[in-house]
Amino acid sequence: MVVKYCGITKEEEIQYLQKLPIDYVGFVFYKKSKRFVDKEQARRLREKLNPSIPAVGVFVEEEIPKILELLQEGIIQGVQLHGEEEESYVLTLKEKMKQLRGDSFLWQAFILKEEKDIERANASPVDLILLDGGKGEGKEAEAGLLQKIHRPYILAGGLSPENVVEKIKAFSPYGLDVSSGIEEQGEDGVRKSPEKMESFIRLVKERSSMAENIGRFGIHGGQYIPETLMQAIEELDKAYTEAKADPAFQKELSRYLNDYAGRPSRLYYAEKMTKDLGGAKIYLKREDLNHTGAHKINNVLGQALLAKRMGKTRLIAETGAGQHGVATATAAALFGMECVVFMGQEDIERQALNVYKMRLLGAEVVSVKTGTATLKDAVSEAMREWTKRISDTHYCLGSVMGPHPFPTMVRDFQAVISKEIREEILEKEGKLPAAVLACVGGGSNAIGTFYHFIPDEGVELIGCEAAGRGVDTEETAATIAVGKLGIFHGMKSYFCQDEFGQIAPVYSISAGLDYPGIGPEHAALHDSGRAKYVPVTDLEAVEAFEYLSKMEGIIPAIESAHAISYGMKVAKEKSKEESIVICISGRGDKDCVSVARFRGEDLVE
Amino acid sequence: MRSIKDAFAKGKAFIPFITCGDPDLESTKKLVKSMVENGADLIELGIPFSDPTAEGPVIMEADLRALQGGCTTEQVFQMTKELRQEVDVPFVYMTYANVVFSYGSRKFMEKAKEAGVSGLILPDVPYEEREEFLQDCRDFGIALISMVAPTSEDRIAKIAKDAEGFLYIVSSLGVTGERKEITTDLSSLLKMVKSHTDIPCAVGFGISTKEQAKEVAQYADGVIVGSAIMKKIHENPGKEEAVLGEYVASMKSVL
Repeated sequence: MVVKYCGITKEEEIQYLQKLPIDYVGFVFYKKSKRFVDKEQARRLREKLNPSIPAVGVFVEEEIPKILELLQEGIIQGVQLHGEEEESYVLTLKEKMKQLRGDSFLWQAFILKEEKDIERANASPVDLILLDGGKGEGKEAEAGLLQKIHRPYILAGGLSPENVVEKIKAFSPYGLDVSSGIEEQGEDGVRKSPEKMESFIRLVKERSSMAENIGRFGIHGGQYIPETLMQAIEELDKAYTEAKADPAFQKELSRYLNDYAGRPSRLYYAEKMTKDLGGAKIYLKREDLNHTGAHKINNVLGQALLAKRMGKTRLIAETGAGQHGVATATAAALFGMECVVFMGQEDIERQALNVYKMRLLGAEVVSVKTGTATLKDAVSEAMREWTKRISDTHYCLGSVMGPHPFPTMVRDFQAVISKEIREEILEKEGKLPAAVLACVGGGSNAIGTFYHFIPDEGVELIGCEAAGRGVDTEETAATIAVGKLGIFHGMKSYFCQDEFGQIAPVYSISAGLDYPGIGPEHAALHDSGRAKYVPVTDLEAVEAFEYLSKMEGIIPAIESAHAISYGMKVAKEKSKEESIVICISGRGDKDCVSVARFRGEDLVE
Repeated sequence: MRSIKDAFAKGKAFIPFITCGDPDLESTKKLVKSMVENGADLIELGIPFSDPTAEGPVIMEADLRALQGGCTTEQVFQMTKELRQEVDVPFVYMTYANVVFSYGSRKFMEKAKEAGVSGLILPDVPYEEREEFLQDCRDFGIALISMVAPTSEDRIAKIAKDAEGFLYIVSSLGVTGERKEITTDLSSLLKMVKSHTDIPCAVGFGISTKEQAKEVAQYADGVIVGSAIMKKIHENPGKEEAVLGEYVASMKSVL
């Protein structure tokens, strides 16, 4: 679905909007409009605007030579007419435009008020039509009339962050045109609001990346959970949908993310590593510098605030490496909530430091001894606990998995990672990276790293799975490589399992990636080919862990080391003019003991 | 072979659950026969799953023992088929979505029908997701049995209206396993469910004693017992048939 932000008049607006995945920008060359810009103003705006975003000139009864002049000088790339033009005028303009610039495009907006408007719109010889309820007065076109349009159209008039999802659901338009709906009152008149510009596009992109069914990503996702939990899940879905649209909630979350967790996290140019490898410029997204030392805090602050808003007083969570457990215990301490963390016995032994931290923060850590006594069993046990005690308890799931709304909600909370990367890399490099990489267990840091790049098809998205001792052994956790479609832990997705659907015991040196499934959105990104998933072994990860420590003085989490390992290969294959971004999802202090053991050294403190 | 409806026709039904393959499938067969001889009206046959998220420790461990013993879905079909020759009470399978999904939903229903099974309970498939399996179930005459929980509230109407076979009423919050007392107001819950459907309602989760069974049967059409049965089997090696037979008879006697 394409999106046009129309009536742009200020350089600040351009600066802000081009960080967002907007498809078109509109300049209004109609003198009577509040948002009128003259040729010189438009030229200045065009110069500030990212060349990959076409500008559309909006005209009312304008002389053809004047339009062509703007096109010729590259101030606009396309033309939008108002709909009452004679057919001869439209055809002449169209022909001259194509002669002048083969890639130019002509649109025509129609105000739908009666049946004859429909006929005219359906018959218009332009490339694309826009449908409005009034002359740019923010009026909506009538639903009954819209349904009679037989060609793709851009819906315009009266759109805003508040109603856009509903409009998409009702009409499935080809695109959206918005102007007054993303404005606010400034000191010197109306202006485009950065918050509204951002929330509008976010809602649109989310909606269009979703399948028709809510909570489905392609065939994946869903809500496969016991009836006992359905009410709680429905309540959570409703509360989250409301919170998401509430600026006060978003503002409070931003405040905690910035002032408490230390966002935005830095995008660091790893110069020494880049030189050493001799390929693309390598940038590291430093989620390890967040409070509690990993990306997990982004999601936990969001969910804890939501839980508080819902009147819950107790948080329960699963944890693998302990990072999500520590983050949850931290948020519980911060907001004065009770906290219980379920952790596999095996992981408790591997991650003693994090267990100590959780207890120090006031959480109870419950050792899970069933099954393989790792992350999967911790999730099962947390789910069981939730069915026992629902009214005061929120299950703060740590990854983009489980039943809807968790995969979407956790993704939203982690998407701040790619939102920042996109802005930071454009600022530093002036263009998008060739690839972004992240490690994948359930996949929360990976989806956070990918999300805002999903519409940017030139950017490769690479998820690095834990291959353990190799994908040809039984001791692996690389779900995309060895798993098959299944239903488990509330979702349909890919899982490591045997021929009768029994979930396989998986293995990785990294407790955080030691999970037999993958989030449903990743499964869908894999199906569509938009993202690729590659296995990285224990040994490769350990080597990358050691490499980054020595090369850049950054000790990464062993989970993140999986992404570094593959990122090193990718960097070598790319040219020096390109850049890649690797997400360092967490810090590696917690892993020193197990990496030392892997190298045959026993650390005793 | 009797139908699910028949099981509820003569007074309150006693419905034992048994995990197939714990300790082995031959034992399962003997134990089912013993329970039927002692008054069981309908048998829930559990197909073991590695990660049964709705089960408490007793059934979870039974599942894991069965899997460690090598029990597979295929073998459960075979055992059921053999058992079907000897007993005529209705059987329903109780397992998890992935067991059915990975076997192939259609193939699973075909095999289940062949083995003489009348219904299927999937605790991780709520009303919203039943489409996944519903058509295949219907094509082979397998009732996809829905569950109602104390938290279902305004979901009850739609669940009850579309219910097939019988309704599985979850007695209380939490997972399966014995409870000292059941605090849910079952009388109002059942009244509510029954205002939307004529399908029989059986209550399960947490019931182990005669007193509880008697209490529950005041409002319900049947009583389901699972963990208490698996515990008796596990704790009485060598004499499980006798112990279980006696237990089932005593439970049935108060209904």
